[in-house]
Amino acid sequence: MEKLEEKEHILSVLKETKAAVRKEDTIKLKNLSNKTIHAASIKQDPDGIALAVMIYALSKIIERKKYTYYKEWPNFHKKYVENINKAVENLEKSDIKGFRNNINEIRSEIGKLSGKFKKYIQDVFRKAEINKASRIYEHGISIEQTAKLLGITIWELAEYAGQTGISDVNLTVTLPIKQRIKQAEDMFKT
Amino acid sequence: MKALIFDASTLINFSMNGLLDVLAKLKTIFNGKFLITEDVRYETIKRPLNIKKFELGALRIQSLLNKKIIELPDSVGIKNSQIEERSRELLRTSNRTFIAKNSYLHLIDRGESSCLALSEILTRKGIKNILAIDERTTRMLCENPENLQKLLETKLHTKVKVKKENFWEFEKFKVIRSTELVYIAYKNKLVELKNGLVLDALLYAVKYKGCSVSRNEIEEIKRL
Repeated sequence: MEKLEEKEHILSVLKETKAAVRKEDTIKLKNLSNKTIHAASIKQDPDGIALAVMIYALSKIIERKKYTYYKEWPNFHKKYVENINKAVENLEKSDIKGFRNNINEIRSEIGKLSGKFKKYIQDVFRKAEINKASRIYEHGISIEQTAKLLGITIWELAEYAGQTGISDVNLTVTLPIKQRIKQAEDMFKT
Repeated sequence: MKALIFDASTLINFSMNGLLDVLAKLKTIFNGKFLITEDVRYETIKRPLNIKKFELGALRIQSLLNKKIIELPDSVGIKNSQIEERSRELLRTSNRTFIAKNSYLHLIDRGESSCLALSEILTRKGIKNILAIDERTTRMLCENPENLQKLLETKLHTKVKVKKENFWEFEKFKVIRSTELVYIAYKNKLVELKNGLVLDALLYAVKYKGCSVSRNEIEEIKRL
C-alpha cells in the first residue's frame, strides 16, 4: 500500500466490511472481496490481497452457520471484529504498520484455536486463498505469478482454475487449432 | 537434435491426470529431448515434495527425471546460469510491457520466463524446439499480445497501455499445450484405453486440470 488512493480504497472496503459483518451480509462481503481483487491484480499489493482473502473467508464462515456452534467461535469472532475495527482506526491515522499487524493478528488467532474448529477455519482460509488466486489468474496474470502472490502452489491453482470457465473466453484462443496441431505434429515428425 | 520444453503447468497437468506414462510413451516417438528448467523443477518436484497432497505427483515427475525421460538443460550443454541471465531480461521486458493505472503489470514469473529463455538459447544453438505451456498468459504474450491487452482491459475494467516495441521479443516462440500432446498420443495409439470416448475424455481431463483450451477448440479437435 504505497499510495494515498490505495489507502483510501482499503479504508473504504474495511468500513463497508464492518457494516456487512454486523448485518451478516455474506453477498456484500463477497462483492467487497472481489472489488479488492480488481485493484490488487493491478498493483499486486500484498495488503489488498490479504484483505481480500480475509473478507472472503469471513463471508464463508458466516455463511456456514455450523462454525458458530463451536465453543471457540464467540471469542474468535470477537477478535476478528476487534481487529477489523482497529485496522480501520489505524488506517485513518495512516498507521500502515498498525493496520498490517491487525490483519496478521487475525491469522495468528487461527493458530490459537484447537481441534476441529481450527482445522475448519484453516481450511476456509486456504480455500479463500485459492479462490482469490483463481480470480487474479482470471484477470490475466500468469498462473505462476498468481500462485506466488497468494503463497499457494501451481498445483492447487491449476486444479481449481480448470474447473472455472476462464479458458472458455474467446480472447484466449490465440491460434487456429489446426495450426497448433500441425505445429505439434511437425515437431514429432522425425 | 530437437527439444520439447515443458512449463510447470503442463507437467503438473499430466501428473494430476495420471498421464505421465503417456508422456513417457510420447518420448519414445520423439527423436529429441524433453527438457525442463531448474525453476520448473522447483515448482514441479522440489516444492510439492513438502506438501502431502502433491507429494506423490512430485515423486512421479522426479522418477521421469531419474529415467532421463525429462532432462535438465545441461544435457544439451546449456548451463543454468545462461538461462537465468536471459530469463531475468525477458522477465523484466514482459513485466514492463503492459501498464494499467500508471503501474506496470507484473504478468509472468521466473519459471515461465526461464522456459522462454531456454527456447531462445536452443534456437541460437540451432536446436529446433517448441514450448509446452498450459497456462494462458505466457502463451498469449507470445502469440497475441493484443488479445492479452483486451483481456486485461475487460477484466480489470480499466484502460491498459502497451509498449508495442517489446512485442518482438516474444513473437518468435512457438507454443503447444497438453491438449495437442494427448491428441498426438491418441493418434499414435499410445493410450492404452480403447473406447470411442477416449479422445474426448483425454481432452476434457487436461482442460479440467488447468490447460487453457476452450470447449469449442476441443470439439474442433475431435472433428479432425
